[in-house]
Amino acid sequence: MGVTGDVLQGFLQAIQPSSLMATAVGCLLGIVVGMIPGMTISSGIIILLPLTFVLDPNISIALLLGLYVGGMLGGSFSAILLNIPGTPSAAATALDGHPLVARGETGRALGVAMLASFAGGLFSCLCLFLISPSLADLALNFQAPDLFSLMFLGLTIICSFAAQSWIKGLLSAVIGLAIVSIGQDPVMGTARFTFDDTNLLSGIHFLTALIGLFAIPQLIGNLGKKTIDSTVRTPSIPFKSLLPTLPDLRRMRLPVTIGSIAGSFLGMLPGAGGPIAAFISYDYARKTAQNSNEFGKGAIEGIAAPESANNAVTGGALIPMMTLGIPGDPVTAVLIGALLIHGLAPGPLLFIEHADFAYGVIFSFFWANIFNLIIALAGLRLLVKLAAAPRTILMPAIAILCVIGSYALRNSFFDVYVMFCFGLLGLAMKWLDMPVVPLLLALVLGQQLEENLRIALTGSQGDISVFFTSPFSALFLSLSIVSVIWSIQSTSGMKNKEAKT
Amino acid sequence: MRAFLSSDESWTSIIHMMARRNVLAGVVLLAIGLGYGVLTAGLPDRSLPGTPGPAFLPWLITAGWLALSTALLIQGLLGGDKKSKDAIGYCMPAQGWPALVGFAAYLLLLPTLGFIVASILFFAGLTWLYGERNKLLTSLTATIIPIVLFYLFTAGFQVLLPRGPWG
Repeated sequence: MGVTGDVLQGFLQAIQPSSLMATAVGCLLGIVVGMIPGMTISSGIIILLPLTFVLDPNISIALLLGLYVGGMLGGSFSAILLNIPGTPSAAATALDGHPLVARGETGRALGVAMLASFAGGLFSCLCLFLISPSLADLALNFQAPDLFSLMFLGLTIICSFAAQSWIKGLLSAVIGLAIVSIGQDPVMGTARFTFDDTNLLSGIHFLTALIGLFAIPQLIGNLGKKTIDSTVRTPSIPFKSLLPTLPDLRRMRLPVTIGSIAGSFLGMLPGAGGPIAAFISYDYARKTAQNSNEFGKGAIEGIAAPESANNAVTGGALIPMMTLGIPGDPVTAVLIGALLIHGLAPGPLLFIEHADFAYGVIFSFFWANIFNLIIALAGLRLLVKLAAAPRTILMPAIAILCVIGSYALRNSFFDVYVMFCFGLLGLAMKWLDMPVVPLLLALVLGQQLEENLRIALTGSQGDISVFFTSPFSALFLSLSIVSVIWSIQSTSGMKNKEAKT
Repeated sequence: MRAFLSSDESWTSIIHMMARRNVLAGVVLLAIGLGYGVLTAGLPDRSLPGTPGPAFLPWLITAGWLALSTALLIQGLLGGDKKSKDAIGYCMPAQGWPALVGFAAYLLLLPTLGFIVASILFFAGLTWLYGERNKLLTSLTATIIPIVLFYLFTAGFQVLLPRGPWG
């Protein structure tokens, strides 16, 4: 089938009623998850993932993409309404969003956020559609040394999360690699660290590890907090007030353009992600605005730029995920796992062997952005109430879902116990102030990293110069160095900005 | 929390607390790293001459693990990472330990009691720990939600959840 046929097939898959329904449900859940302070998009996807085991891959990925896109907008709602960013990416939105709410212009603030998110999401979807196939074609030429260096580049995302403490960040990644080394080795099938237990032969399933690492510390952390319903305000928001006026639309043009371009580009880079894109866009929007003194006091541009940026990051992050198999951010790392569960390995071959599915993902992402806007506009008041559901009921239900999720993988209690052990590990890491994301990335990329490293070294008979003589490999290693330096600089720059604002 | 701990004195106490934690974690991780190294030494070395075998990555991990845990231990002994002012010492909520013990008990009783009965008990206990004191609401949700989830996953998604003696 030609490219046009694949595109058409993908489009038809994405407009199946079941796929559209899944996308809409995902958006709805995503907005709610994003709005609940303390719940992250990654956790939402991890909790929902077991539900998707029995679903068709198209439907399941549509659901998860909806959650990803919706979560970004939901996080901004709580940032604007409560001044508590539901997601780290929404922190910049709170700077001007909440002052507008304080001035009684809640509808205006939310309307601008919705529209800017929509524009940013659509722009990144266009980038995803145009760039992904060409990048996948190029990636087909990669050999084992190139793939190793590419995985290494993917791992440099760790630097963004390890900037607080390099020792702890790197230790987290090393622990992840040690966990990956349990089970049969990927080249020769030799059993490692299995203690003759057959359950360990296939290794630790990354999903059980993720559920434990992310969900259990969150469940325990929420024990000491007040119920959400006592803090969430449900202001009266007439539908008309959500629609931006013509002067507001004019003021949004430049910041939305800045945010969309910056978000799509930064989303592609491992380690950059939503928070950095949002703050960089906010900064540029302030520099280019005529009313820069209004920033921080409720400037429309101060909402439009970070909002378009953090939603554009979603499409940007999907580009390296789908074409190269490396995650742009923690959420796409979880999405890679979701695809692997369905037997679909993200990477260049996805566009060759399952091109219709790959285009289906792109179109589902497009629909997710459309539904996101519609659901947010139509059901805002209800969504705010949903997010205010009592934590006392929500959290026990999540705890039980975690147990079902880990059990459902192989109908085995072994996985449930492993999940609980990872929960304890997650709590210990929290106690030690050690980031979990490097461990997550090591779990997702570790096996491919080892496989390609060993194949490359076997091919070169142990000569490590193979990583520097291959042009692609040398390029990726150079980019890794740039990524590390850039991550350190931008993280420290962002911290300074946060401290100033 | 941050405002409460904004004085230099409070930051100093946090740094000291983190330093103590780093020492403890450094020692534990060092011990685990040594154990991992011993196990790695026992791995079979099946490979072509001059090429990496199954123990190749584990040896790299062992080296990295030992170096980083030693660094963490030294950092702790020297008084912690003084630059890390963003680090707020995590303290588990008072209900945290009972919740974890309850969770462990739930997982152990799950095969014996079956999903519905064990989940009803666990749900009710956790709801109470989260601070819900309305007995009717707790009873209703603790009964309805596990039953709905059980039938959703067994009938809808073909997951073989344990039925227990009453199943």
